[in-house]
Amino acid sequence: MIKVRNIIKSYGIGESRFHVLKDISLDIEDNDFVVILGASGSGKSTFLNVISGLERPDSGKVFYNGKDITAISDNELTSFRKENVGFIFQQYYLLPNMSVDKNVKMGADLADNKDYKTVIEAVGLGEKLHKYPCELSGGEQQRVSIARALAKRPKVLFLDEPTGALDEQTGRQVLNYISKLQKEYDFTIVMVTHNLNIAEMANTIIKMNSGKISEISTNQTKKTAYEIGW
Amino acid sequence: MRLGGDSMLVGMKNALKLIGISIIACCAVLVCTMFLNFYFDVRLIESEITSELSMVFYNAQVSTAKVVCFVSGGCLLLTSVVMLLFYIKHYIDTHKKELGILKALGYSNLKIAKSFWVFGISTFIGTAIGYAGAFLIMPWLYALQNKDKMLPEITINFHPSILFYFVVLPTVCFSALSVFYAWYKLKKPVLLLLKDNLQTASKAPKQRIEKNRKLSFVEELKSNTLKSKKVLVFFTIFASFCFSAMTQMSFSMKDLSSEMMGVMILVIGLVLAFTTLFLAITTVINGNTKTIAMMRVFGYSQKECCRAILGGYRPMSYIGFVIGTVYQYGLLRLMVDIVFKDFEGVPAYEFDFPVMVISLVVFIAIYEILMYVYSEKIKKISIKEIMIE
Repeated sequence: MIKVRNIIKSYGIGESRFHVLKDISLDIEDNDFVVILGASGSGKSTFLNVISGLERPDSGKVFYNGKDITAISDNELTSFRKENVGFIFQQYYLLPNMSVDKNVKMGADLADNKDYKTVIEAVGLGEKLHKYPCELSGGEQQRVSIARALAKRPKVLFLDEPTGALDEQTGRQVLNYISKLQKEYDFTIVMVTHNLNIAEMANTIIKMNSGKISEISTNQTKKTAYEIGW
Repeated sequence: MRLGGDSMLVGMKNALKLIGISIIACCAVLVCTMFLNFYFDVRLIESEITSELSMVFYNAQVSTAKVVCFVSGGCLLLTSVVMLLFYIKHYIDTHKKELGILKALGYSNLKIAKSFWVFGISTFIGTAIGYAGAFLIMPWLYALQNKDKMLPEITINFHPSILFYFVVLPTVCFSALSVFYAWYKLKKPVLLLLKDNLQTASKAPKQRIEKNRKLSFVEELKSNTLKSKKVLVFFTIFASFCFSAMTQMSFSMKDLSSEMMGVMILVIGLVLAFTTLFLAITTVINGNTKTIAMMRVFGYSQKECCRAILGGYRPMSYIGFVIGTVYQYGLLRLMVDIVFKDFEGVPAYEFDFPVMVISLVVFIAIYEILMYVYSEKIKKISIKEIMIE
C-alpha cells in the first residue's frame, strides 16, 4: 500500500517560486488501477515523479508498506526503484543502438528475470526480438517500453501519458496490453493522463487541479480499452 | 548556432570549443617549426664544414630534424584531422534538429556548410601559438644541438615558407575541410535530421545472428558503447599511446640528448594524452546522458552505470600503452642504430624495463583517478534529464 502525506513541492526561488503540489495526501491500495487526471500544469506529472521516488518533495512523506521513501539516501532510493517500481513514459526512451531483446533485458536483469522473453511475447513482439527501435512503429516502441518495465517484475507501474504520442487505434492496443498484463502479473498501476476517457478503464480516478486533488472517485463500471471513447 | 542576416552561422564560441585541436596543432607546429627551421639553417652552413667528423655530425643533425619533423608532425596532423572531422560530425549530430529546420526552411546545404569555416580558427589559434612558441625556444634548441661546437655557429633565420606551410596553409585547409565535410554530412534528408529515432534502413545496426553468449545487460551496453563510437576508441588508444611513448622516451632522451629535451617531450606527451582523453571521455558521457539517466530511473547503481559506459575503454587504454611502449623503443632504436650509426660517443640504448614499470604504475594511477572524477560526474546526472526534451 502507498500512503502519501502532506506533499508540498515547488520550483524556482524568490518571487518566481511556483508551488506545483500543495499539501497532497492520498492512499493507493495494492493492485489498484489508479488514473490521475488533470490539465497541463495541474501538477500531475510532478506528483507521479514524487510518489515514484524520481523526485524528492519539499515536505511531506511517501510510505511504501510503512517505509518512508522521502527519508532515505540516494543509493537507497535507487535500490527502492530497482526492487519496486517500473516506468513507462510518453517518449519511450528506448536505447537506439540496442535490439528489442536487449532493451527489455535492461529491465529483466534487475530482477534476475531469465524468462523475460515471455513478456516480449505477451506484448506481441515475439517476432521482432532482434529489431532495433528505428525499425519499429511508435506503438511497437511503446510496447517494448511496457515489456521493459514489466520484465523487472515491478510491484507498482507508473505511466506518464503512455498513449500521448500514439494514434487512437495504437493507443487502445497499448492500453489493452497494459490492462491485460496487470491481471496476469498482479501489480499496481498509477497512470497520469489528460484523456478523460482513459479514466473509464481505472478503478480509482483522481482529478487534480492547480496542484491539489479536486476529486477522488471509484469507477463502478470499468471498461476495456476498446469500449472507451477517445 | 544563430541566424545572422540571411545566413546561418556557426558561432565563434563553437570554434573555441575545439581546444583539443588547438592544443594538438600547437604541439605539432611547435615541434615541426623548431626542427624544420633548424634543418633549413643547418643546411646553410654545410659549405663551412671542413672535417669529416663534423660532416658525420652534420648529417646526423639533418637526419634527426627530418625524422622528428615527419614523425611528430605527421602523427599530430593525422590526429588533428581525425579530431576535427569527429567534432564536426558530433556538432551536426547534436544540432541536427536546428540544421533540419534550416534545411526545411529552404537553406541550401552549401549555405549552411559555409558557416562551418570558423572551425578553422581553432587551427589558426593553435598553429600561431605553436609557431610563436617555437621561436621562443629555438635559441635553446640551436645551442643544445651544437653544444660541443662541432659545427660552425648556426644563426636563427626567418623562413617565410615555414610560416606559410605551418600557419596559413593549415588554417585554410582546415577551414575548407570543415566546410566540405559539413556539406557532405548535411546531404542527409531533412526528415532524418528532424527526427531523433528515424534512421534509414541501411543505417540501422546490422542484425546479427545471436551467438550462444549470455551477457548481462551491463556487459551488452559496455560492448555497444564501444562499437557505436569507434573514433573515441581511437582517441583513448592514442591518449595512452602518447602517455606511454612520451614518458618513456623522455627518460631515454635524457641520456641520449639532454635533460631539457626529455622534459619537453614529457610535457608535450602529457598535454596530448590528457587533452585527447578528456575529449574522448567527456564525449562518451555527454553522448550517453539519457542512457545513464534511464538506467538510474530503473534502479541501476552508479557503479553499474560507470561500468557500462566507461568500463570498455579500460582495456583499450592498456592496448594504447603497449603500442606506445613498442613505438618509442622502435623509434629510438632506429635513431641510434641507423641515424647515428656512424657517430661516435652515442650512448648504448637498451629497453629500460624499470622506466616502463614506473610509467605503467603512474599511468594506472592517473587513469583510475580520472575515472573516479568522471564517475562523480555521472553521479551528478539528474534523472530528470530524460524528461527534458
